[in-house]
Amino acid sequence: MKQLLALAAASTALALAACSGNAGSTAAQVGGDPSLPKPKQYLFPPMKIAAAKGWGNGQTPSVAPGLKIEAVATGLKHPRSLYVLPNGDILVGESDGPPEPIHRPKDIIMGLVQAHGHSPVKAAQQITLLRDTNGDGVADVRSLFIPNLVSPFGMTLIGHDLYVANTDALVRFPYQGGETKVTGPASKVVDLPGGPIDHHWTKSLVASRDGTRFYVGVGSNSNITENGLEAEKERAAVWEIDRATGAHRLYATGIRNPTSLDWNPATGQLWAVANERDEIGPNLVPDYLTSVREGAFYGWPYSYYGQHIDPRVMPQRPELVKTAIPPDYALGSHVAPLGLAFYTASNLPYAAGGAFVGEHGSWDRSPFSGYKVVYVPFRGGRPAGKPQDVVTDFIGPDGNARGRPVNVAIDKTGALLIADDLGNTVWRVSAAARTAAAGTGRGKSRPG
Amino acid sequence: MPLPPDHRHDGRHDHPRSTASIFGHPLHPMLVPIPITCFIGTLITDIVYSRTYDMQWANFSVWLLAAGLIGALFAVITGMTDFVGDKRVRNIAVAWVHGIGNGVASILAIVNVFVHSRDAYTSVVPTGLTLSVLTVAIMAVTGWLGGTLVYKHGVGVSR
Repeated sequence: MKQLLALAAASTALALAACSGNAGSTAAQVGGDPSLPKPKQYLFPPMKIAAAKGWGNGQTPSVAPGLKIEAVATGLKHPRSLYVLPNGDILVGESDGPPEPIHRPKDIIMGLVQAHGHSPVKAAQQITLLRDTNGDGVADVRSLFIPNLVSPFGMTLIGHDLYVANTDALVRFPYQGGETKVTGPASKVVDLPGGPIDHHWTKSLVASRDGTRFYVGVGSNSNITENGLEAEKERAAVWEIDRATGAHRLYATGIRNPTSLDWNPATGQLWAVANERDEIGPNLVPDYLTSVREGAFYGWPYSYYGQHIDPRVMPQRPELVKTAIPPDYALGSHVAPLGLAFYTASNLPYAAGGAFVGEHGSWDRSPFSGYKVVYVPFRGGRPAGKPQDVVTDFIGPDGNARGRPVNVAIDKTGALLIADDLGNTVWRVSAAARTAAAGTGRGKSRPG
Repeated sequence: MPLPPDHRHDGRHDHPRSTASIFGHPLHPMLVPIPITCFIGTLITDIVYSRTYDMQWANFSVWLLAAGLIGALFAVITGMTDFVGDKRVRNIAVAWVHGIGNGVASILAIVNVFVHSRDAYTSVVPTGLTLSVLTVAIMAVTGWLGGTLVYKHGVGVSR
């Protein structure tokens, strides 16, 4: 029997090895019509996560020609989200999800695997303000802006009201303008779906241009309903919330994890990046960038990329699947987009109207995908062409991760900001010397 | 009353010995109820899940599988020790069928715990449920043969 057990161990190892073969690049999976292989199921799903190493002294990510990169601030505590205030101050959400309950032996294993690629620095669960007073791109004022938040992510300012999307509630703080610390009390606008499971915990947030409504991205509570359908109530959706009353409705549904929202400057439409489902193959399902159409259903959990049925969901709802629409633009499988910012300035050598996307990077395919910031060109308000690499080399030559990009934002000068939750840094990408001088001061702050 | 010296070795009363025992008390029969109970439980919760789609039943299944496998590990170790420890055990054909059958059942249960670690419906239906049925079916036979080893061949029965 011992031999038989050894045989079992060997066959498991073989299955593992067979699964971790080279899945190729995700290049065929970008744009409007991605290739979708047949779904596969595994005994041991492929896992490959870059070990968290951090940036060495003087190391930075690489940037495309014509750009330069510098650290606005280092030594932050798990920076995930960014918001630029009208005076140019940068708000940084230093945040991470709440601990998840253990439902299965697998949850213990997955926790260990994910921790391997995570910064050992514990998230501060706060918002820090960064201010650059001399215009050199480096923050010389750093101040604890709002302490003791509950896994904060989305931020937006309307007049003198600063709204923060905690994982369990949308809350409001008074902000007069120019201060480095919020002193007034928080008041709750509305509860958001939080614990006790809270699998996809980030709540992305934008306000309508007239300031009367909010849009909040609420992620699913599981990969693919393995925590039960009851746990998915009002999740995997974009909420529309009335600012005056706090009343909400589901603006769009079936979006597994809408991690970042922004307004398309050409059309005024709401757009999102979203993370799709795992464990049906290294090349399924492509994460995406899409316009968020009012009342639309984007498939999760029953189907993906339109009406491709996911066999893991039962009972199925064929009548609902018939209404599912595909997203607009695939970014590639498992790239994990966590940041979206349309470009509306002119400092950088990228056309206004296109979108920057921060790709946190894969943990379940080999070779890695994501781990970079890309620019998606748009024409007439629609994506036009392949994504272009803007900031790369978050993975070092040794295969370890030095950083992982999350949120992206455009600062007051029109430069690109990137929150790096493994490198614990906020990066600033601006035009290299010659064009930087010409671009200074012509930028606009991020809309929304 | 002391037995006559030749009586101990007359083959009628000198039973095959259990090597994995404490104070002459065999351990293997005390351990086998753990995998047997857990794997039968897995089959039951799998069936309930396949009819209700309620994920909590599938969660029960995978914990039962994990607990059953830990029990099976010790049952295999003690069983192997008894098998290797006395040539008279190895000379019984039924012992081979019992051991190999349980080895196969253990491998199926190991595969099954991985299948049950998939997400949602396909963690149970159809592969997981099929493996649960096969595991229990094999153990029904091998468990019976385990009884044969003790009650007929007297393995581990004290003199």
